[in-house]
Amino acid sequence: MIPKMRQVELRAYWRKLKAFVKTLSLQRQMMENLIIAKARQDALQRKMEERRLRLQEEANRRFSASGAEEQEQRILYTNVLEYEQDHDWPKLWKANMKKNPDDVTLVSGLVSYLLSRADHPVVKLLRKHQYRVYNRLYPIVSKGLVQSPPRPLTPSRSTHLPHPEKKTTRGSSVGGQSFSTASYLSPSLSHDHSTNYEDEVEEELHSQATVDRENSFEDLEQFLTQLDWAPLHSSTEDSEGTCDPSLQPEQDEGSLQELEMRALTEHLKAVVKDIHIAIDQLLSLCLLSFECLNTANSKDLCLASIEEAFFTPLWSALVALFRRVYREREQAFETSMKLYQDVSPGDVGVPSKLFPEDSDAQQGSYPYESAVQELKLLLKDCCPQRKLECIVRTLRLICACAEDYRCLHDVDSTPKTAAIGADDLLPILSFVALRCQCPQLVSECAALEEFIHEGYLIGEEGYCLTSMQSALAYVESLQPEQLPAHKLV
Amino acid sequence: MAAGGAGGKTYSFKVVLLGEGCVGKTSMVLRYCENKFNDKHITTLQASFLTKKLNITGKRVNLAIWDTAGQERFHALGPIYYRDSNGAVLVYDVTDEDSFQKVKNWVKELRKMLGNDICLCIVGNKIDLDKDRHVSVEDAESYAESVGAKHYHTSAKLNKGIEELFLDLCKRMMETAQAEERLKGNGASQSASSRRGVQIVDDEPQATPAGGCCSSG
Repeated sequence: MIPKMRQVELRAYWRKLKAFVKTLSLQRQMMENLIIAKARQDALQRKMEERRLRLQEEANRRFSASGAEEQEQRILYTNVLEYEQDHDWPKLWKANMKKNPDDVTLVSGLVSYLLSRADHPVVKLLRKHQYRVYNRLYPIVSKGLVQSPPRPLTPSRSTHLPHPEKKTTRGSSVGGQSFSTASYLSPSLSHDHSTNYEDEVEEELHSQATVDRENSFEDLEQFLTQLDWAPLHSSTEDSEGTCDPSLQPEQDEGSLQELEMRALTEHLKAVVKDIHIAIDQLLSLCLLSFECLNTANSKDLCLASIEEAFFTPLWSALVALFRRVYREREQAFETSMKLYQDVSPGDVGVPSKLFPEDSDAQQGSYPYESAVQELKLLLKDCCPQRKLECIVRTLRLICACAEDYRCLHDVDSTPKTAAIGADDLLPILSFVALRCQCPQLVSECAALEEFIHEGYLIGEEGYCLTSMQSALAYVESLQPEQLPAHKLV
Repeated sequence: MAAGGAGGKTYSFKVVLLGEGCVGKTSMVLRYCENKFNDKHITTLQASFLTKKLNITGKRVNLAIWDTAGQERFHALGPIYYRDSNGAVLVYDVTDEDSFQKVKNWVKELRKMLGNDICLCIVGNKIDLDKDRHVSVEDAESYAESVGAKHYHTSAKLNKGIEELFLDLCKRMMETAQAEERLKGNGASQSASSRRGVQIVDDEPQATPAGGCCSSG
């Protein structure tokens, strides 16, 4: 009797419990829905705000364009027409293009010929923009060279802001000290540089290309080749002496560093924006000069050539600025890299079927070495498009290697149809990034992110860059004793 | 943001593929992209990045399918994968309750990042193992409905339901894109260069990871 009673009681309890659980799950779902609805609303609002800002900015650009910029455009076009009066080659090329409209080699031929004519308005404009960008990079980059990157920032370094003459509010809020150009230019270059800089300002005022920019640009090239080999300056300690960091209270230094970082980030954003505007302008002048290039394919080709010409001499200076902004991330990467330099693919979570077991036995080589070697080449290219291609090649090599390794494991069984998905790709890519031993990759990828073309974002290039970024972020996040993989999952 | 409609009549859509390690998303997408007449559809990146060209009601559609890593440790940068996605396919294994929970987390994150612009598909895979089912059809479908997603059942092994799922998704993405075009009116001419301006303004890559790591459940 009693057990039966209990059973009945138990059943009642059970029913109650079930009902309770059901209410709970209903409530939970309601909560979730509420949260989601709230998030959606926030996202929508954020998007509206972003959209408004974007439109506003575009409107601003258009409006200012209608005045000064349009006039500038007109002057540039007049220069083009003038040039064509004096030179025959544009006419010849145009006629040739008309005769063979489907010849792609002709298009690239024309563009490279155009870019080789130093006196053509397009090339002059290119040099002008390059010089302007370089001018904004130089003070910061040259400063960065004096000290080795890992050294902590000192307050005095917060003075090197661009365009000292303009004295932006940003600038004065950060340092407000020693804005003279000479204090951060090396004696050897300061003269040329500042004269040319004044030219630049003058030119901006008159918006007329009257000064020959060639000489100044040679300086740039000369400077940049030196930049590749060794620090150029040894005599720039003067500004350092004015302010000993050890005398500053630590808190001050911290907030100053923060301010400096913020200023640097803002500056980087501004430079990136300038570059986008410059390239847009160059492309449109190019298409204005040669209307025959205004087809989808030729336009892409044209843009690629312009970018290559634009970025090649500037990249090392540009990436130097990126490296200063992304220094913390690079340091995190370097720490992981040193901790796990002898890591095996298995330790970062690569499934054992995707690398050879006897990797130790293969003397002097390691799994996925070809992909690592390919990735190292990324630093050698100087143009975003080529770097992007390098990343794509790296990922393709990874897939090819993985396929080979799997075949090694599956000798007896029939080859499986399964292929590498992101679950396998990212651990391997992380391994390759670790073995690559280049913290600079972090900054390079951040720069690529800024300059990748809209059209490539959705495609293979965009996917590869995104995966690369993801793998780098994972490597940066590694902590000591985190590996091997069975601890992470 | 997720305007997929290109000037002419070709739509380019980005679809992200989400799901835990063993739910069979790789096999599923391979099934979809392998072609009876031509197996060259599989790119050199194998199953991680696939493209497919379709023709739906006279409109050309280019589909780019982005696989994402299911492992938790790669999620810090999840949001940069979702960016500008037109659709998401969230796969779980009907025999694995945990994998369904993961899907719920991703749904929350996607809605948070992309709002209503993204078409969501929740997919219960491995229905060939129905006798071991641990996620009830009813639960899954009512959940999908509650978050504005559509629910599908597939079997990559038997090649069931996959074609339908992607076709349906494409149609929905086209509707969304067309609605957006209509909303914009003559603003369809928003050129690439103006979008560039956007890229400079928003600093999504730096800003989003902070919001993205709340998915660990």
